[in-house]
Amino acid sequence: MSESLKQILDVSIFWEYRTVLLRGLAVNFYVFGCSAMLALAIGLGAALLRVSRLWLFRCAGTLHVEIFRNAPDYVAVIWVHFVLPLLIGTVLHSRFEFNPFVSAIIALGLVYSGYFAETFRAGIEAVPAGHLEAARACGMSEGLILWRIILPQVVRRMLPESINQFISLFKATTIVSLVAVPDLMYQVSMITQQEMRPLPLYTGAALTYFLIILAAGSALRALSERWRMKIFS
Amino acid sequence: MQPAPGVVNDVPTIRVVDVYKEFGALAVLKGVSFDVRRGDVVSMLGASGSGKSTLLRCINYLETPTSGDILIGGESLGFIDAAGGSRKPRPLAAINRMRRDLGFVFQQFNLWPHMTVLGNVIEAPLRVRGLPRKDAADIAHDCLRRVHLADKADVYPARLSGGQQQRVAIARALAMQPKVMLFDEPTSSLDPELTDEVLSVMRELAGDGTTMIVVTHEMGFAREVSDRVLFLHNGLIEEDGAPAQMFGAPKSERFRQFISKYRQ
Repeated sequence: MSESLKQILDVSIFWEYRTVLLRGLAVNFYVFGCSAMLALAIGLGAALLRVSRLWLFRCAGTLHVEIFRNAPDYVAVIWVHFVLPLLIGTVLHSRFEFNPFVSAIIALGLVYSGYFAETFRAGIEAVPAGHLEAARACGMSEGLILWRIILPQVVRRMLPESINQFISLFKATTIVSLVAVPDLMYQVSMITQQEMRPLPLYTGAALTYFLIILAAGSALRALSERWRMKIFS
Repeated sequence: MQPAPGVVNDVPTIRVVDVYKEFGALAVLKGVSFDVRRGDVVSMLGASGSGKSTLLRCINYLETPTSGDILIGGESLGFIDAAGGSRKPRPLAAINRMRRDLGFVFQQFNLWPHMTVLGNVIEAPLRVRGLPRKDAADIAHDCLRRVHLADKADVYPARLSGGQQQRVAIARALAMQPKVMLFDEPTSSLDPELTDEVLSVMRELAGDGTTMIVVTHEMGFAREVSDRVLFLHNGLIEEDGAPAQMFGAPKSERFRQFISKYRQ
């Protein structure tokens, strides 16, 4: 093997920069955690609108789902960070800016709320009507029924699909470097500009993401299956 | 439990007053009235489509009657008196409070699969009546003993047979200590060998003086256990009486035909 090829393939540079890279990875997790919570909360709201008895609510829910499920996350991040502040600024007649973290979290949260809404809705509709009647017959209020009878079953039913969505969302956090959120990809590109050695750096980043997603995904799937088996077998 | 001697208790536990129920153009109940007194075991018989399940579901407002009224201990379930002597629909929260007095057992059991047996039975006493967990658990264990499932408290419903699931459903309804137990074809989705264990629990409840309304196709139960039989046909009560008299000498031709099918 030639000396130059060896140098290109030497991944030790990835280890040298571990502190800053780990900090970048922590940012990925932070953005993931916040946008996942936002997506779940908004997704549940949209799903409840979609199963509402009121036509207007159902339309609002459907509109939400279709807009965000069909928006590319890349476009959403750019739009929320650069266009939305312009609109808000014009309305407020003053300069307005989002912190890049805030833009990234809002954009990813909204886009993924569209997916989660559909998963929630399918889960809600899969709860047999008899379970709700039994709860009503016991004198449970509609709020209590949602919290104690519907949601616990929905969570178990939607787990396999939502694990896939969480993985997609985690992958999507790699685009937040677009608006200068200092995540792992951002740090890698910064270091690359200094060191001029893209191969070990980008390969290291790819491997890191790959291993994290593989490990977390398999662990979550195994755990969720064990948990689901108790009630659906 | 009978009222103390000398005390005249004229208020029926349940009074069904001229109940009509229509689904669009389809009239399922066409003016049904009857009273149920404390300790009564009433069997409701009738061919499918006669309206008996709908009637039972109207009694706890799982179906809202198109017109008519249900009185629980003399109090209207569907309406409250408004100012000026008029009546207005009772709000859902208030209906829910009154439903605590009506235990309901479904044909399909409808246990909550994500909760253990104990979880199912304890849920309403804990969260609807607001009992402390220990008191609710005591009641739940007591109810599970009554249906002979004390040893299954920590099992999930999916691990139980249909007959066991239905007995848990009975315990769940009993745990609210209702004034009346309503049974909607409780053995119709069970294999014959599982039917008996549910019926024998129901016999024991009847023996304990539980007020019960039972929609059923079990003629043996209707005949031997109930104090009274209602036969519904086309949304009306066609015949109403004591089982010995009705099965011995039916007055209506339709009831005669109906029971003859079960004799074969």
